[in-house]
Amino acid sequence: MILGVDLGAPATVVAALRDGVPEGPIPTRAPGGVRPAAVWGTPVRAVCVAVDLDTVRLAPVAAIRVGGPCPPALGPLTGWPEGAGRAVVVRGGHSLTGRPVAELDSAAVAEFAAGCGLTDFAVTATGSPVLAEHELAVAEIVAAEVPGARITLSYEFGQVGLRERENSAILNAALGPYADDLAARLGRDLPGVPLFFARTGSGLVSAHYFRRYPLVCYLGAFTCALRGGATLAGLSDTAVQERRPATCDRRAAAPGVGRTGGEGAAATAVRTGMVTGGLPRTGARSDLPVRVNLPLPLTVEADTGVAVGPLAGEAGPGWTVPGRAELAVAYGAALAAPVAEVERIVQARGRAELDRALDDARDEALTRVVSAGAAPGSARVAATTVNPLSYLPDGLYRVRVTAEGATP
Amino acid sequence: MRPAGARPVIDRDSLGVYAAGSRLFATGAAESSFHLALDWAGALLAEGAAVPVTDAAGLPPETLTVAISLVGSTAALGEQLPAGDEPVRAVRGLERRLGRTAGAVVALNLAAENALLPVITAALLAVPLVDGDGTGRVFPLVEQTTYTLGGVSAAPLALAGPAGDLVVVDTAPDRVEGLVRPVVLSLGGWAVAACYPMTAGVLSQVLVPGTVSRLLRAGVPGAPRSLAAPYGVRTLCRGRIVAVEGSTGHGADLTMPSVPASIVVRESEGLGRLVRLEAHNEIVLALADGAPVAMAPDQICMISMADGAVVDVDKAGPGMEVEVMVVVAAPAWHTGRGRALGGLRAFGVPL
Repeated sequence: MILGVDLGAPATVVAALRDGVPEGPIPTRAPGGVRPAAVWGTPVRAVCVAVDLDTVRLAPVAAIRVGGPCPPALGPLTGWPEGAGRAVVVRGGHSLTGRPVAELDSAAVAEFAAGCGLTDFAVTATGSPVLAEHELAVAEIVAAEVPGARITLSYEFGQVGLRERENSAILNAALGPYADDLAARLGRDLPGVPLFFARTGSGLVSAHYFRRYPLVCYLGAFTCALRGGATLAGLSDTAVQERRPATCDRRAAAPGVGRTGGEGAAATAVRTGMVTGGLPRTGARSDLPVRVNLPLPLTVEADTGVAVGPLAGEAGPGWTVPGRAELAVAYGAALAAPVAEVERIVQARGRAELDRALDDARDEALTRVVSAGAAPGSARVAATTVNPLSYLPDGLYRVRVTAEGATP
Repeated sequence: MRPAGARPVIDRDSLGVYAAGSRLFATGAAESSFHLALDWAGALLAEGAAVPVTDAAGLPPETLTVAISLVGSTAALGEQLPAGDEPVRAVRGLERRLGRTAGAVVALNLAAENALLPVITAALLAVPLVDGDGTGRVFPLVEQTTYTLGGVSAAPLALAGPAGDLVVVDTAPDRVEGLVRPVVLSLGGWAVAACYPMTAGVLSQVLVPGTVSRLLRAGVPGAPRSLAAPYGVRTLCRGRIVAVEGSTGHGADLTMPSVPASIVVRESEGLGRLVRLEAHNEIVLALADGAPVAMAPDQICMISMADGAVVDVDKAGPGMEVEVMVVVAAPAWHTGRGRALGGLRAFGVPL
């Protein structure tokens, strides 16, 4: 039996998936917890949690950028709200062709780390998708200066585009303390049972992975509403809207349906390379500070589709309400499987070198999906894409590998 | 609201509209570099500064004008950020070579960051931006311009890179591209180029006129996309991509920009034709049920039916609903020399 947990408002909803069939809601021993109140005949194999992180409190972040000087408008933490943290630009980094821009200014890193008074660090070096050595060196210095520091390295998010990758790293670092507390609390509630969190877009990651990379789960509940709603209705291509009392009104949609609302006048504060926004919301929740710039999940305007959530019945004509609509998010979480991605810029002269580089990237993706909680025998590469970078020397490729597996 | 007939300006208020207009037919625009250029321009214009947009013919004919463009990789620009002085260094470098001071800047083309860099340059130098550009669309090579067709050389040309380097290239027009590419790689993968130095009098004869003010109208929310196409645009078909061919194995979807790719679109209305789009970096030929219906130098692009954005060749995938549009190239491209420089043969298709 797998438990799916919806941490959304107004209360936590727990569903069980037994032989592929959803059951629930499952009463829990304590409010907000995940431990079922009654002992079940079948053991709990895994707990899969769906949570959206777009409204949680963000910790102040110490942002270290390794690179050259730039106009202030392009500097780190630009566009972030007051109190988001402190930032410094230190000399160093590499060009996309792998050439060093400058030697790393280790003294400046140490001075900033020791004096910033913060413990959540985001480190972004120019060229790190090609060569991450300056980010790793900064991490070492920070760890030595600030015992117990939590350090996010931007190369883990892979994308080219320094500012977007840096914003991803900063947002990830800012989510760290909340993610840490949440994973610890839920882990204590059901000790010994593997704990997973739903990713944005697809799949699950382990609690351990979630504590380090909460950003990949930024819209986990949003994703699960889509997956759970579509599955409950027996559809693969549909718009899904989720309705909850007062607090929020989420809409998710499958690709290929309807039209987007367009960029419009959304109050864009910062851009990340991750799916971190794009949910039209009403009620108590305000507009998002960070908007989508990856294509999935699409938010669309649709007149018909599937409505889920406790108030699904209010969705109006055109919206189908499947049975157990109130369980959709928790059910969607229980249905998911571990997924991990690797994005890299690789340099390869000739086909043999590229094949080797692809093998390395696939190995790393498989390692990551196992560390994200997949049963080792179940891990497999789901997709590999390779695109040459235009107007750079032959042999520079953007490589993206997705691996997936099954919960143990 | 500006009074009718007033000269357009690009300022804090109109920058967003101009930027939106610059993306209506821009293929290959990288999000990261576009937003970087937009934020950079926005900061320069934030204090109430404004870049006047002027007709080439409205400048004193002996005014030195300089074309501004990004050369190299947009991915490299998004990764290794500008120090901020590249546009000024490039123009000053060219001025030193020429012994004259530039009185206006003009765009090489008006796609995404290439529309914004001339605005940034004009703001930094406090000179006007000429209302027009050198293509009326986008071509991949520095020499593929109406300036070249009008007999103006891209050289001497000055390149300023993000690491503080300045390189002045002085050579024959047909050697510019070959010399510039390796230099740009050494500079870090991108550079701001100040090129095609010429007088305003010459510029007024060789540019595609009015394209800057056109984007200022086309980028207004709700304005028809066709406003961005000075010589007309037509819809070739609406349909669903049924196949993308041209991958070369590796156990992965490898899309080589230099290797031909084909995109097959099944028309979803009308005759239900199969429309085949042949691409070399960009789409250069469209065949409907086997018959050529559009080709370079006209620009063929796919617009996503889902969000209205231009779909790049390397991002096209089966299942996507697209509108295939043909932007008619400026008359200069439909001459013998224009077709030789920007037609099918220039893209390696011997038709």
